[in-house]
Amino acid sequence: MSEPEPKLLPGESRAEIERDFEQLYRDHLRDVYSYSYYRIGNHHDAEDLTEQTFLQAWRHFPRARRESDGRPLRPWLIRIAHNLASNYYRDRSRRPQTPLDSVEPPSAKHSTEDLVEGRAELRAVIEHLQELPDDRREALVMRFSLGMDNREIARAMGKSDGATKVLIHRAIKQLQERLEASGEFGDGIPGAEKEDDE
Amino acid sequence: MSSDEIRLEDLLADALRPVDPPRRLSDQLHDTFTAISEAAATELSGWADELSESELESLRDPRNWIRPVAAIAAGGVATGALVLVGFRRRSRLKR
Repeated sequence: MSEPEPKLLPGESRAEIERDFEQLYRDHLRDVYSYSYYRIGNHHDAEDLTEQTFLQAWRHFPRARRESDGRPLRPWLIRIAHNLASNYYRDRSRRPQTPLDSVEPPSAKHSTEDLVEGRAELRAVIEHLQELPDDRREALVMRFSLGMDNREIARAMGKSDGATKVLIHRAIKQLQERLEASGEFGDGIPGAEKEDDE
Repeated sequence: MSSDEIRLEDLLADALRPVDPPRRLSDQLHDTFTAISEAAATELSGWADELSESELESLRDPRNWIRPVAAIAAGGVATGALVLVGFRRRSRLKR
């Protein structure tokens, strides 16, 4: 391992840096882990990716803190995880696995029929998510798993706010079209009322 | 936004629920970096023990600093990581 200690500028307090990093860690461990899990698709590698993300974040934290100018550092943290995940795929030449084992029926459903239908829809959503282009899938993970807004997602992905808004819109649209085409959502579900788009 | 789009967004929120990291993650971090830290310390110690007078003399040349600096760097990152583990453990205790 060759990562050195973070470099502090004169006047920067190490105790202060550590305190702020501790806060970042507490606030976003679950975000980084969730992102890693949905990118990689299994817990083992998600743990590894989370560990590497925080190590690299620690190394560059003083500089990121200085340059953030008070803006949240979550996008920066997720960008580190994003880059490491990209290396992971490049090095191992593999695609994410579908984390179907974690899927539970939606809590809002009531009847048995609804529960069964809800589970099937969830599985379908996850399966079709895996087929989306990487950037679209990733944007949806940031939006729906981490609750990031367009601006945060844009910073994490290195895109403009406008491009990010379009990316998310197209991702949802593409997912909806795939689900409908496979008969697993909306008009494709037998008995569902057809809405006239025109 | 149509009702289908709203329903799809609800489904996405369900399908992509945040995932809590397993508790073993902090233990794993601790073990990994304790090992790195010990290895770095051993490397430094072993290297210092082997030094002869002439080698000590040669250390005045910065071109010979690579090995000790690498060992210190490994120890440094391990220390940082142990700070992390400490955070994790403290936050677990507070819950």
